[in-house]
Order: sequence, then C-alpha cells, then structure tokens
Amino acid sequence: MVPISEYATVPEGATLIEAYLALEKAQEEYDRSKYRHRAILVLDKNNRVIGKVGQLDVLRALETKNEKFETFEDLNKFQFSAPFIMSLREQCLMQDEPLTDICKKGAHIKVEDLMRAPTEGEYVEEKTSLNTAIHQLVRGSHMALLVTRNNDIVGILRLTDVFAAIFHTMKECGIDNK
Amino acid sequence: MNALEKLFIRIVQRVNINLRELEFDAKPYVWDLIPKEQMKKFYAFYGISPDHPLNLQFKNSGLAGSYFLGQCRVTNSLLYKTDVRGDELKKKGDRFQYNNLTIPVSKDEEIVIEDSAFVKTLIHNYSHDPETLEKFFIKDTISTHYANIHGSPSDGCFLGPFSTVDLTTMRDCVIGTFSYIQAGEISHLNIDPGTVWVRSPGSFNFLYRYPIDQLNTYIYFKAGIQPQGKFIDFVEDRKEAFQRIFDLVNIDPVPVPDSSSLDRYAVIKPKTEIGENVLISQRAYLQNSTLGKGANAQENCFIINSKLEGNNVTAHGAKIIESDLGKNVFVGFNSFLRGRPECRLKIGRESIIMPHTIIDISKPLTIPAGQLVWGLITDEKDLETNSISINSMSKIDNRLTKGNMFFEGSGKSFVSAFQDRIQHILEANGAFFNCTKKKGHQKGQQKELQKGHAQKNQNMSINTIQPYPRGKLEGLYPTISIKP
Repeated sequence: MVPISEYATVPEGATLIEAYLALEKAQEEYDRSKYRHRAILVLDKNNRVIGKVGQLDVLRALETKNEKFETFEDLNKFQFSAPFIMSLREQCLMQDEPLTDICKKGAHIKVEDLMRAPTEGEYVEEKTSLNTAIHQLVRGSHMALLVTRNNDIVGILRLTDVFAAIFHTMKECGIDNK
Repeated sequence: MNALEKLFIRIVQRVNINLRELEFDAKPYVWDLIPKEQMKKFYAFYGISPDHPLNLQFKNSGLAGSYFLGQCRVTNSLLYKTDVRGDELKKKGDRFQYNNLTIPVSKDEEIVIEDSAFVKTLIHNYSHDPETLEKFFIKDTISTHYANIHGSPSDGCFLGPFSTVDLTTMRDCVIGTFSYIQAGEISHLNIDPGTVWVRSPGSFNFLYRYPIDQLNTYIYFKAGIQPQGKFIDFVEDRKEAFQRIFDLVNIDPVPVPDSSSLDRYAVIKPKTEIGENVLISQRAYLQNSTLGKGANAQENCFIINSKLEGNNVTAHGAKIIESDLGKNVFVGFNSFLRGRPECRLKIGRESIIMPHTIIDISKPLTIPAGQLVWGLITDEKDLETNSISINSMSKIDNRLTKGNMFFEGSGKSFVSAFQDRIQHILEANGAFFNCTKKKGHQKGQQKELQKGHAQKNQNMSINTIQPYPRGKLEGLYPTISIKP
C-alpha cells in the first residue's frame, strides 16, 4: 500500500494542470518503486477523498466532443463492423483542432469536472486479506483500491503493487520454473 | 369488464413480459387505439376463389373490419381493420432455398396468429425463417396503424405506426414509428423511430436514420395519444370514401381490362385509367391517375393525380401524389411521394425509391432514370445527399456514407437484391401475364410466366362474418372454421 501522504492529491477546485504537477511531484518523491502513480486523489477542505482522476478520465475529458460521434455510437447495434466504425471516427477526427490546442484548453479544466467519485467496491479495509483485495480488483477491473481505517482513507493499494507482490511470492516459492 | 377487454389486457401483459428487458410498457401506447365500440359493430370478411387455398380458423378473437385470404389461424387475438393475406404462402412440396441449403416444405404453410393485437396492419408474404417453413407465426405481438408485417415471423414485439418489418424474424423487439427493418433475424432490439435498416449478413448493410424533428411533423406517436402528423391527416381526409365502400353491399363495378383486377374494397375516383395486368388491392385509393400495363397498387396505397407508365410497384402503404413515374419505377413500403399541382415530381425509369422514403417538394423536382433514393427529400440538395445512381452504387465494394446514410459491403449485391425482388414482385402480381414466353431477367434463359395476383384475384368472392353484438362475448367472434 502507498500511504496517502505519499500519493498525489489536490484540493477541490484545482485545475487539470495543477493535478498533473501534483502527480509529477509525488512520483519524484515516491521512488521506492519503478511503477508510477497513475491517478490523483481530489480532497475536500477537510482532507477527505471526494474523487479520483485517472489517466483515462483525463483523456476522456480532452477527447473532442464531436456531435457526429454520437451517430456512430450505436452502429455496432446494427451490425456494422469495427473497422467501418473506426474509419468514420478517423474521418471526423481529421477535421478536429490540433492536439496542442486541445491540451492548452484542457489545462484549465477543473478536476471536479472530470473526477469520479469512488464506488463502493473501490474501498478496502486495512486489515482485509490480500486475497479479498485481489478479488475486488479483478471483479471491478480497478487500477487501485482506497485503503480505509475507521472510515478514513489511509492509503492506496495499487494493482501494480499487488501484481508485483504476487510474482515476488511465486519466485520465493520457486514455482516460476516448474 | 367484458371478454374483449379481458382479452386485450391479457395480450398487453404477454407483450410486456416479452419486452421487460427493454423496459417497455405497451399499455399506455395501445389502450385507446383499439376502438372497443367499433369492435362489436364491424364485420370481418374473407375471400374465396378457385385459385387460393382456404383454411381459416378463428377462436376467441375480435376481427372487426379485417380481411383474410388463404390459410390462417387466429386465436386469442384482436384485429382491427387488419389485412391478413395468405396468398403467397409456401405449398407442400415447394423447396425453400436458404444459403446453400434446399429445404423441402413438408405441408402447406399457414399464418398462425396467437395472443396478438393489430390495428390497421397488413400481414402478407410467407415465413422466410428456415426454422419455421410451414408456420408463419405471429405471437404476443402488438402492431399499430399502418404497420406491415411482411414475411416476418414475430414473437413478443411491438410495432409503432407506419413501421415495416420485412423478411425478418423478430423476437422481443420494439420497432419505432416509421422504421423499416429487413435484417434476417433480430432480437431484443429497441429500434428508434425513423430507422431504415436493410442488412444481408456477410453481404451488405444499409442504415439511414431520419432527422427526428422533421419526421415528427409527418408522423408522431407517444404513449397516451393517437398517432398524429401529416400522414395521419392525409389518410383521415380520405377516410369517408372508404366508409362508403364498406357500408354498401353492392357497388357499381368499375370496368378494368380482362387481365387486371380491381378489389371490391378499393376506392376508384373519376378519371382513373387502369391498364392491362394491373393489380389494385383492397384499401387502395386511386384518383385521377393512370396506371400503365403491369403497374400495381397494393394495400393502403394512395395514387392521386399521377401517372405510372407501367411495371411500377407501389408497395404496401406507399402514397404517390402529383407525380409522374417512368416505367419500372419501384416505390417501397409506406413511402410518401408528394409533388404539387404547380410543381410535379418526376421519377425517371427504373429508379428505386427505397422503402419509407419521404419526398415532399415545393419546387419541381426530377429524379434521373436509374437512381437509388432514400430518406427525406424536400429539394434538389436533399436529393443530392440522399440518392446515388444505381450504376455508381453497384461499384461500391467496401463502404459509403452520405448524409445520415451508412453503407458497408457490396453495392452490387445490394442493388441486385432489390432488382431481383422487384422482378419477383412484378411476376407475383401478374405484370407479365400474356407474355407466355419472355426472356428471364437472369442468365438470359427462357422462362414461362404464370398468372399472378392480378389474374387470380378476378375470380374472388367475398363473404362476411359478424361478432356477438351484445352479452358477455360482445365484440368477439364465435369460433369459426372455414374450409372448402
């Protein structure tokens, strides 16, 4: 688990660029692992976690809101092929503004506009067994779980750390070559 | 609550159970659509002729104003002004081609309607489902005004007004208002209003979606209201003419050529000219129009102040007003083509107006010969977006997008599918009768052509049956079995 004090956090009201800078700083300070942090937690004024901004949330926010995209959304319902739908998207994207302009605008988006409130399955009690935590990660396809102690979030259990721990155990058991 | 209402509740419940996954409740849509008072007043009728099989069975059903032909069994159902035409069903010994399989038909096919309710619906053609060759089933299904169930077995479905399901087996689906679906097999789909979807798996896929705001001015339907819009206004304005022919026992016959047939329940207004090999079906409305040799006007068609040069298919529910159509122009199901006296619509020969096309113009418009047309067209610009020459379409071998239309697959197969079908419709309707030897449209072989509906329907008599006028079974018909 990564203690919350070592994780990237920003206060409510921060912009996307501020969130990214917090992530960068947390990563520099957190050097025990070669695995990078992938999300930023958003805290309210009482320092309680109210949301999470992941890499996909950022990309989703920056993705062009093209009205035509909506007309493609359900084409698979009508059995059009994936390459066909992809080609329609590409045609639309070619008419979009350059990436640098999109990033410039995106930097000032408020984190509240793109954060996700953690769902019930994303919390795990500190004393929960690793097996249970793995089950939660797998069932919910989560990249991380928020570790709680008496309803306070005290850390983050990242998928990447669990993954590393599993392989470490495998190696220690000597089953990797059998 | 009388037996009729109990039956209606039972049908709605069964449909809702099938559509629970789509969270669709049919009751608010249909509760007021079937006029309970008229269900006990209107007679039903059926055709008998030496050229059609006869095997009709009705049980615990209301059939007001409905018409039956051929082989049909109706149980626990309510039909209001609905046409069930069993004159294209498969016969014992026929061979049904499905992909590489040739499947023998073991007994005469019948239309089997159970636990369903239809309002002004057309049911026609034969089951294209290889799993049920001998049974064209329609169960737990509700359809509303001017819907077409054409060669499409159905289980647990709801069809909105002016919708068409064509050559498609459907299960647990909602078909939106004015949608046309020809997709082989569909299940658990909620199709939005104004969707035109034509798909042949592995061959082509065509999709057009109407701009909903514009479509709503033509036809709009939601829970708790009757369907409304220009389509309904158009039909209602001509309703009186039909009331007359349904009320009279004997009407003065309108002379037509020996090779043509004019249904006793069609409306023919003055200055209408009917050529040879023409089929005019029941509930068709013709006024001041010319139908050239081999043309046809199928059920619920309106042809007004127009000229059709010959071999024109006007499919079920199509309307042609102030228009001039060249030879072999095809107008698909429920299409609405409206020119104006001062600005006529002209359609060049061999053009294909796809099912559910709306052409409504306020300036003259000419569609070139050999054009494929779809969607909503109000002017030249729309025509450019929503049409392509058949020749160009045949060359598409991958994908095409134009306006709201998406196409994937082989344009050649798409065009051939339409052309082959049009040829089949003309043959089935008797357009080529008297041409005892004629070159087949495929492979150049000689092909002997048979009598079609235009000739077979000439020897038809119509019988009527009546519901209980009062009492516990008010509005329902007694159990009836009609056989030769």
